[in-house]
Amino acid sequence: MFLTRSEYDRGVNTFSPEGRLFQVEYAIEAIKLGSTAIGIQTSEGVVLAVEKRITSPLMIPSTIEKIVEIDSHIGCAVSGLVADSRTLVDHARVECANHWFVYNENMKVESVAQAVSNLAIRFGDSDDDGPAMSRPFGVAMLFAGLDKSGTQLYHMDPSGTFLEFGAKAIGSGSEGAQQSLQESYHKSMTLQEALKIALTVLKQVMEEKVSGSNVEVAAVTPEKGFHRYPQDEVEAIISGL
Amino acid sequence: MALEMMMSGPDYMRDPRKHQFSPYANNGGTSVAIAGDDFVMIASDTRLSRGFNIFSREQDKVFPLTPKTMMASSGCWADVLTLNKVLQARLTMYSHEHHDMMSTTAVAQLLSTMLYWRRFFPYYVSNILAGIDEEGKGVVYHYDPVGHMEKLTFSATGESVSQIQPLLDNQIGGLNMLGVKPPTMTKDLARQLIHDAFVSAAERDINTGDGIIIHTITKDGKTEETVKLRRD
Amino acid sequence: MNTGKSHTMYPSTSGTSVVGLVYDGGVMLAADSLGSYGSLARFRDVKRLFKVTDKAALACSGDIADYQFIREVIEQKVRDDVCGGYTRELNAGALHCWLTRVLYNRRSRFDPLWLECVVAGYKDDEPFLGYVDKIGTAFEAKEVATGFGLHFAVPMIREAREKKQNLSCDEARKLLTECLKVLYYRDCRAHFKYQLADITPEGVTIHDDLNLKKETNWEVANYISGYE
Repeated sequence: MFLTRSEYDRGVNTFSPEGRLFQVEYAIEAIKLGSTAIGIQTSEGVVLAVEKRITSPLMIPSTIEKIVEIDSHIGCAVSGLVADSRTLVDHARVECANHWFVYNENMKVESVAQAVSNLAIRFGDSDDDGPAMSRPFGVAMLFAGLDKSGTQLYHMDPSGTFLEFGAKAIGSGSEGAQQSLQESYHKSMTLQEALKIALTVLKQVMEEKVSGSNVEVAAVTPEKGFHRYPQDEVEAIISGL
Repeated sequence: MALEMMMSGPDYMRDPRKHQFSPYANNGGTSVAIAGDDFVMIASDTRLSRGFNIFSREQDKVFPLTPKTMMASSGCWADVLTLNKVLQARLTMYSHEHHDMMSTTAVAQLLSTMLYWRRFFPYYVSNILAGIDEEGKGVVYHYDPVGHMEKLTFSATGESVSQIQPLLDNQIGGLNMLGVKPPTMTKDLARQLIHDAFVSAAERDINTGDGIIIHTITKDGKTEETVKLRRD
Repeated sequence: MNTGKSHTMYPSTSGTSVVGLVYDGGVMLAADSLGSYGSLARFRDVKRLFKVTDKAALACSGDIADYQFIREVIEQKVRDDVCGGYTRELNAGALHCWLTRVLYNRRSRFDPLWLECVVAGYKDDEPFLGYVDKIGTAFEAKEVATGFGLHFAVPMIREAREKKQNLSCDEARKLLTECLKVLYYRDCRAHFKYQLADITPEGVTIHDDLNLKKETNWEVANYISGYE
């Protein structure tokens, strides 16, 4: 891609003659620098697992937060420019709260993805919906949730495209991880199997040795809604790999 | 009348002017809804009036919202029309945004929110919402004009509420009687009660009459029946 | 309202009743041509009924200035529609709904158009007769009237219909004239000069400068005494 670079990557809303929006593509490239995040959907619930990059022994790993709660029934894993994700996550939370306020029901996962997508593509020129951002968000997201139509996993990238997946990996190790997921994923998987696979795949693609402090694991289930796995439980799973 | 007093004080305090603008009018109308285990009935009279004038003898005041929900509105007819138009638009927007029909509980909450948004310039409308919920059971929601919502199994509202509600409380709720068990609600009983309630109300209230339209909602769909009332 | 700006809170020059009815094969609408200024019969030849399109006519009672304003707006709207060429001709149903929104919006801004409107015409090949007032109250009926007409004309038409469900064009015309006559006798703000619109699938016909004078008899007035 960088070989075909031209003047067409200056404006965020300028198409190249081949019909590409370079700034959006660069933003997608930015995801590939981010830490790996994995989501797996099963009939028992949806699992999210992300790698935490501990760049210094002096860093407190628990302050890295790459899996967040959107609402009690939706969790979200992010990869890329995590700071950018805060804006999107905040938007998603507001949308969920507002939906509950107006309709007294949980917002559908697809609708949350749609709402976040609407914000994610508001770059370029300002319009009636408010001022625009100067560049696309440099973050990809995995929405794991539970609604009327059951458990769901949605992926959204900086182009605002959002799609449902059975299992999806994003971030630097995503290519290898996606390949592994394709090989091991099946629809009748249990939540425990999914947890195991998520951590196995992370283990494969992470540079560091996987441990209880350098991964973050969460799940959304019909029984408990969104919940994180404490470090000891994560370690227990890792030791069983 | 009470509203006029509130807005501008008793008439001897007002300017000696022939007309005083009021954004509200009372156009009468009465509605009743009764829920059963697997059905809900919602009915209203068909008289549209203002003061001693009858505008129309065949105005249905029950509005279809979704295949499982209906709303009966009465009070200020201009507000009734507007509220329903806005609500219809919101329902359509919801189905486009979420690729799904709104559930009865969601419509119920939306209506409450919409009414409360107009807290300081209210829609002068008495509403009852009737529908089939996610479990397939009949439900009734009752509202005040500014959005207070109550989930019930039966309710009356509008002009003749003070005639009909005590009757329903007694006959369905089993209230004010000793050693009486509330009956199991059937379609026949609900229909009969609605009919009797409206006939009695039409005897005493000049703003209720002409006819009743009874709508029945079940999981299989909706039916409607028209009954005559006295026209004087 | 202490906004420093005062809106119309009462009518100035005003017109009295409008009467309309649906008959077998069309819709008829009539209004007299008096503009009253309080109890003063100020203007005796004001038109307050007009053809909107081939499918709709509108008559209003209430403030004459507000009527003339809304007429201007509607006529411009129709011109825009015709010049644009991409919309259907404004029918009575659409005009009625549009008026509902305009009048309701004005009442919500506490700046009402002091009107009671009757829209007559056709909607999807069906005769249409509808009412809208200054706060947005709207309904359709087979017989519609405003002001004193609500008290006098509507019961007359309903009574006639109880005897005969479907009125012919002639019967409708006779009945409408009878209504106006009663109104002229009993309503102090009514007048003998009137306009009448007949809307059929073929189009709108407006009869201007009709007169009730020869049909009314005031001889009895000479016998009234004791009020001199």
